Amino acid sequence: MPSLATLAPGGSARVERLGGDDAITLRLLEMGLTPGVAVRVVGRAPLGDPIEVELRGYRLSLRRSEASRVEVTVAPAAVA
Amino acid sequence: MPDSHDPAGQHGAATAETPLVVALLGNPNTGKSTLFTAVAGIPTRIGNFPGVTVEEKRGRFEAAGRTIELIDLPGIYSLTPRSPDEQVATDVLAGRQAGVPEADVVVVLADATAIERSCYLVSQVLDRGLPVVVAVTLGDIARERGIEIDLDRLASRLGCFVVGVVAPRGEGLDRLTEAILLAADAPPPPAPQLPSIQIPAGPRSPAAREAIARYAWIEATLEGLVSHRAVTRRSLAEQIDAVLTHRLAGLLFFVAVMLVVFSSIFWLATPLMDRCVAAVDWLGGAVEASLPAGAIRSLIVDGLIAGVGGVVVFLPQIAILFVCVALLEGCGYLARAAYLMDRLLAGVGLSGRSFIPLLSSFACAIPGIMATRTIENRRDRLLTILVAPLMSCSARLPVYLLFTAAFVPNTAVAGLSWLRLPAVVLVAMYAVGVVTAAVVALLLSRTILRGPPQPFVMELPGWRWPQPAVVLERVREACWSFLHNAGTLIVAVSVVIWALASYPHDESAILAEIEGERASLEARLAAIDADGEAAGREEIAAELERLATPAGLEAARRGAASRQSFLGRAGRLVEPLVRPLGWDWRIGCAAIASFPAREVVIGALSVIYNLGEVDPDQSEGSSMLSRRLRAATWDGSDRPVFTLPVALSIMVFFALCAQCASTLVVIGRETGSWVWPVFTFSYMTLLAWLAAFATYQLGSLFTGT
Repeated sequence: MPSLATLAPGGSARVERLGGDDAITLRLLEMGLTPGVAVRVVGRAPLGDPIEVELRGYRLSLRRSEASRVEVTVAPAAVA
Repeated sequence: MPDSHDPAGQHGAATAETPLVVALLGNPNTGKSTLFTAVAGIPTRIGNFPGVTVEEKRGRFEAAGRTIELIDLPGIYSLTPRSPDEQVATDVLAGRQAGVPEADVVVVLADATAIERSCYLVSQVLDRGLPVVVAVTLGDIARERGIEIDLDRLASRLGCFVVGVVAPRGEGLDRLTEAILLAADAPPPPAPQLPSIQIPAGPRSPAAREAIARYAWIEATLEGLVSHRAVTRRSLAEQIDAVLTHRLAGLLFFVAVMLVVFSSIFWLATPLMDRCVAAVDWLGGAVEASLPAGAIRSLIVDGLIAGVGGVVVFLPQIAILFVCVALLEGCGYLARAAYLMDRLLAGVGLSGRSFIPLLSSFACAIPGIMATRTIENRRDRLLTILVAPLMSCSARLPVYLLFTAAFVPNTAVAGLSWLRLPAVVLVAMYAVGVVTAAVVALLLSRTILRGPPQPFVMELPGWRWPQPAVVLERVREACWSFLHNAGTLIVAVSVVIWALASYPHDESAILAEIEGERASLEARLAAIDADGEAAGREEIAAELERLATPAGLEAARRGAASRQSFLGRAGRLVEPLVRPLGWDWRIGCAAIASFPAREVVIGALSVIYNLGEVDPDQSEGSSMLSRRLRAATWDGSDRPVFTLPVALSIMVFFALCAQCASTLVVIGRETGSWVWPVFTFSYMTLLAWLAAFATYQLGSLFTGT
């Protein structure tokens, strides 16, 4: 299953599930990256990491190592 | 214990003596500072919560004849306590934070542009069984984006008071205070009934399940309350955003912003700092003129007033940096700067949040260390504080310039006529600091500051206008906390150093030393005349002539006094330690005397070498010191003390050492522990010694001296 880290800038997707079960996973959930939510990759920082995503009406920055925990299904039209 | 949960309506009896305690809680970037300033004005109290380095801010205001005490809690996303910020907020709401009264009402801020995420914290607060008022902020920006929220229906679904507030315009503030007073006397709202959810796969810990269930509850609660209208016209914020997120344009903009920030603390502050110095000098001069010469005058002028001068001189830089930081924070750019620079710093165990504090440290480590307050993560903040003093601050520059000008030959490097050796040496000094900081950060993050991986999950707030009142408050707060917390201690340290440099003061021993010097010079002159050699005669004759003038004698007296003081004796004591660096005991003295601040080493050297006080900014004073240093010889021999390897070894030492009492004091205050300044001083001095040792030994090998 593709992850948020592999999504190209501009791409939209739906969160399926999160890997891991530690403080980082919990923080991602608390920020709203829960199963079923629509996300869009806005861009990448100039050095390729971190990435900027949009979800639940706001922008979030996360490192690729963190984004790779977020498994998604690519859904081009799934913009909330 | 206040009667906070008493349903019998005793709050109505609350008088000015027992104010209504209101805790202010919200996500970062929801306009909490703006709301605090708009409602309560200037805080009545700023400090840390007892026992933790989490900032506590309180304010007071009157409403309907009642005094309301507002307690500002740190900006957090969750009440699941994992960070000190979250722990303090949780403890305050539970009424178990020492020194903080139990909250009668909790005001939770919710960002209208990110209402779902904001409701996460709201739902957690509703669990606590306290009277709650939800203040929905940033409604103006939400409307611009076509978002409308039905607040009345939200209030009935949440079962608590919900008020729309646009603090910068003063909208809804009256209704907010009204709601606070009503909520105080009403029964607390019900706790949310979280749905039971089926999670097919993924994290299954109770905390993870709870987080997922909360969002399910939020989505159900907000169902049908939030309408999105399609906005055809692109708002200003969106246009700015398009530039900021552009890969190239965004980076160029970032570089431009950082140049402005850096040059303002470097150049804009200089005239103000000069004025501070001039004012203190004037004060010192005035006191000197009105008091009889003696120990008291010296204590007041050279100890106390000079110490105060050493404190106020930092204020312009602190104020200017905090203006910049508050503006960047207020318009939402601070997080974006961290986002852009994160990769660069993540490699050495830091995060993008460390960039501005470290950049500022090139001007001065003190505002830089204070700016680490913008780093939420404790470990990252501590790591940044510990390596910030390694950045070559402006106080090192005069040291570099003096020794480069005096001892580094102005030759071309690698056959390139435009590439001069002094310039290469200067750049190398800055590089030494940066590279060392990177290595130290990497080592510390893998050893003593090792911990579980820290998430860098950070909100990137939208563009908005900074609030002048909030910016001013931030600057006022930073300056005041520096003066109040660090200033007094810095003055005390200055007085102690003054005493060590002034005592013991034995006039007869001083005169005896000068006589000894004169006799030795005369003997050398006689020896030269007997040999009939001309070399060196002129210098010795000039030296003797100078000793015969009142100014020359006074300089010699001051030099002898400083060499005989406790600091001078300490210099002799550490001679075996500094010998491997190629230094004689006088350099050791000057290095120890420069503990209050690195740039003091120049003044200390000139006093030790009988020049009196020279002003290194004046080319005359500087070149005089250069000549004197070049002429200096080891005691009892003609071998010059200062060679190129020795000069480089001194420069490298000052690049890496922690000879800045003010920085150490500020580290102590910002970390809330004396362990860290001691640690910083120890590791930096050790590194400085090792690097100076390597520089001198390698340099001697290459130059064959």
